[in-house]
Amino acid sequence: MTTAWVYAELAGGVLDGSAAELLTTARTLADEVAAIALGPGATAAAADLGAAGAATVYASDDEVFASHSGGPQAFVLGGLIEEHRPSIVLFPGSYEGRDVAGRVQARTGSTLMANAIAVPAIDRARTEIFGGMTVVDVQLQGPEPHLVLVRPRSVTAEPTGGTATIVAVPAEIPEADLGARLVERHEEAATGPKLEEARVIVSGGRGLGGPDAFAMLDALASAIGGAAVGASRAAVDAGWVPYSYQIGQTGKTVKPDVYIAAGISGALQHVVGMKGAKRIVAINKDPEAPILKMADLGVVGDVFEVIPALTEEIRRRSGS
Amino acid sequence: MVLFVRRARPRLDVLRTARPDGRTDEPGVRARREVVQVLGQRKLFQKAVPGVMHATIFWGFLILLPTIAEAMLAVIDPAWTLPYLGHAAWFAFLQDAFAALVAIAVGVAFWIRKVQRPDRFRGSHMREADLILLTILGIVTSLLLWNASRIALGSADHPSAAPVANALSGLFSGGRGTEVAERILVWTHLLLVLGFLTYLPRSKHLHILTAAPNVYLAKNAPSGYLTPLRIDLDAADADVRFGAAVATDLTRKQVLDLYSCTECGRCQEVCPAWATGKPLSPKLLIMGLRDQVVAETSAIVAATPSGTVELQPLVPNAVTDEVVWDCVTCGACVRECPVDIEHVDTIVDLRRNLVMAESRFPPEAGAMLRGVETAEDPWGQPASARTDWARGLDDVHVLEPGDPPPEVLFWVGCAGAFDERAQATTRSIARLLIAAGVEVAILGPRERCTGDPARRMGHEYLFQILAEQNVETLNGAGVTKIVASCAHCFNTLANEYPDYGGDYEVVHHTELLSTLIREGRLAPGAGADGTVTYHDACYLGRHNGRFDAPREVLHGAGAATVEMPRNRERSFCCGAGGARMWMEEGGDARINETRFAEAAATGADTVAVACPYCFVMLDDAAKASGSSVRVADVATLLAASVLPEPAT
Repeated sequence: MTTAWVYAELAGGVLDGSAAELLTTARTLADEVAAIALGPGATAAAADLGAAGAATVYASDDEVFASHSGGPQAFVLGGLIEEHRPSIVLFPGSYEGRDVAGRVQARTGSTLMANAIAVPAIDRARTEIFGGMTVVDVQLQGPEPHLVLVRPRSVTAEPTGGTATIVAVPAEIPEADLGARLVERHEEAATGPKLEEARVIVSGGRGLGGPDAFAMLDALASAIGGAAVGASRAAVDAGWVPYSYQIGQTGKTVKPDVYIAAGISGALQHVVGMKGAKRIVAINKDPEAPILKMADLGVVGDVFEVIPALTEEIRRRSGS
Repeated sequence: MVLFVRRARPRLDVLRTARPDGRTDEPGVRARREVVQVLGQRKLFQKAVPGVMHATIFWGFLILLPTIAEAMLAVIDPAWTLPYLGHAAWFAFLQDAFAALVAIAVGVAFWIRKVQRPDRFRGSHMREADLILLTILGIVTSLLLWNASRIALGSADHPSAAPVANALSGLFSGGRGTEVAERILVWTHLLLVLGFLTYLPRSKHLHILTAAPNVYLAKNAPSGYLTPLRIDLDAADADVRFGAAVATDLTRKQVLDLYSCTECGRCQEVCPAWATGKPLSPKLLIMGLRDQVVAETSAIVAATPSGTVELQPLVPNAVTDEVVWDCVTCGACVRECPVDIEHVDTIVDLRRNLVMAESRFPPEAGAMLRGVETAEDPWGQPASARTDWARGLDDVHVLEPGDPPPEVLFWVGCAGAFDERAQATTRSIARLLIAAGVEVAILGPRERCTGDPARRMGHEYLFQILAEQNVETLNGAGVTKIVASCAHCFNTLANEYPDYGGDYEVVHHTELLSTLIREGRLAPGAGADGTVTYHDACYLGRHNGRFDAPREVLHGAGAATVEMPRNRERSFCCGAGGARMWMEEGGDARINETRFAEAAATGADTVAVACPYCFVMLDDAAKASGSSVRVADVATLLAASVLPEPAT
């Protein structure tokens, strides 16, 4: 009897969506499907894992998994593999999945296949080469279990509505296997919606002259409501805002309903990232700026006068 | 001797099993390079003091070679020596003079390393170098003293022909003690020489054996040329190589490169990435690869062609991903290297594996590859917009299928067609050609990206597709001569398309314009105000030797010019080559801003460029610095002088 396992990732105590996708794949490969969930929230996630097709869930709610990077997971999973000898273990191609899979591979000495987009058979993984131009199947050789990292959202999850037996696993990790301890978790503060999803984007460029002027764009974005703030490469290169703001060839590609470009000249590098906007409003003091040629509404003027006035007017009309 | 062979054997075995690269054509060219560069030490003289130091030791080494045989005979019997040379006064003189000069040169080498301490040695093995230099010093000192003792014993044929040894002979009494000293000295000399020989194969000093073949096997084509990696997906060959993944993927020349590096750091000193605080140093890259090849020697030799032996991937073990992606492919390292190591080709081979086999590259560059793949230009613009720049220029002829072949085809390039700054250059070139009575014929929407950015990024397959398609279009249109405005297009069309069946006479726009000025077909009017400094594009200048044409055009335009400290062959990159144009830059400083600061420091009012990449990079740097120095293409400056109304 073949057994397929799925490494179910928990992010902040919540089950990641990749687990249901991997379980859907696992069901096509083996008669017996189990999931491994490690960290706070694992036992609680077992119901969801059962509904997604896992017959067994090896779970531990121990805090040690959340406070370390990969080491404890690899130790416990390595032990379970030793004990139960599954044929294949699927991991999500996430930061944590890659971290744990690599460590497990080092422990078990089995084959690890990264960046798979599908697993057509128990000894076969599908991947893209030539930057995605060609799809190939890779034969998995070497001792079992084969470890496969599957790219997220490669398959659609199909729940079975079943239930899973929970097997509690102990979390006694030797000091040497703990690895790096998580000291602090820091997420880059992002105000407002994601750039790629925002319906309105207010974006600033070199013409803003410095980081302080971005507060002006924040005010406009909040007056509009639900608008995101972006930037051109020049503003990012100057260090005024972080790279996550960057729109353009080497940054994000956005397609909002309205794109307000403030102090952006409209270099090709930037334009290719925002030309998909339905309406483009450009404010620039240089009447020759290329952005004005492509804008639906072009304002030749000083951003430091136009933006506050616009913000004020929007606030007045919306009565806030 | 036996020890030497034993220790050298693994090195030879690795070379023998490495992939052949057929670098033996045009033996005449190769032999000439050998004479100029090895015997003549040409590239070493790029640095005056180290150059003279090295040449002295090298020539000394050649002249003292027969001395080894002489010493071997003398240890057997003091009366034995070489048939003719052993008795020749002129040889005694040369031997004496060069032994002394080598000793002085070793002193200079120590002075450079210990007193001057240039940054290029950072990361090199300094202790090993000290040991090597001390051994050389020991070899020549023992030789001089041995000769001195023989003079004291009266057994030298021409004491006066060897002034240094003669002067030193005063140290010896000439009695029984001197006879013993003579025996000790000749043995010391020979043992040092043989010890050195044994030490060589495992040391960075191996270059004294590998440099000459490495120079012989160097690329004859312009340095901008990359060797194709033919990819035939239908062939389904198990031995298809997608660039260099592990040590056995390296070619013979690439391995010899590694054995030839003596860690002098001249490449490191000129590398734009290293100069701006990035982890890439061409020297450290070669050393990293060498260390891995040396460590894996037995596995490499044992590996069968199907490669079943486990070898570690070169990236990130020998060099990190970041190092591989930091390279701008400017070729400054290759140009500087005295033993012709080809760092750039190896880096591209590493990229080929990362991109094609592993899809592993800086994510922000993905948009460029997608653009080239789907829209056939790096920015993903519609092909129909390729002629937008020509609006209002009625004399620009867009070639339709079936049109008669043009006298010369104007290859606009993607930047020249789509980037609004480069469009100004394109318009200037077109207007100048029209004014000179040259028909301006373009392919318009049928022109595609040459594939250069994809190729430099390592995506050889995508490049191959574009090259084949473009060659088909060009050949179908009967094109024989091309003028290109982008230095990268120029390099690809001129040097790389012949591999895909495209043989054209390719000139850069600055070459065509300088010819038209010389023929009197363009008559410059008033000179531009202020001074101009010209920035050499890597793919026009260093990679292809086009230094004079852009300067002639500026001169023709009546501009007062001033040179930057780093110019011509030793120009400093703008930071855009090697597909870096489409990647984000790390490190302490930006390459484009570093170069712009150098240009601005000349006091020039205008920085003239001849490539759209340089234009965008330096113009961005000018804007970021808030400087009033303007950046413009050579053609735009000429147009301002030649044409009645200002270029738009």
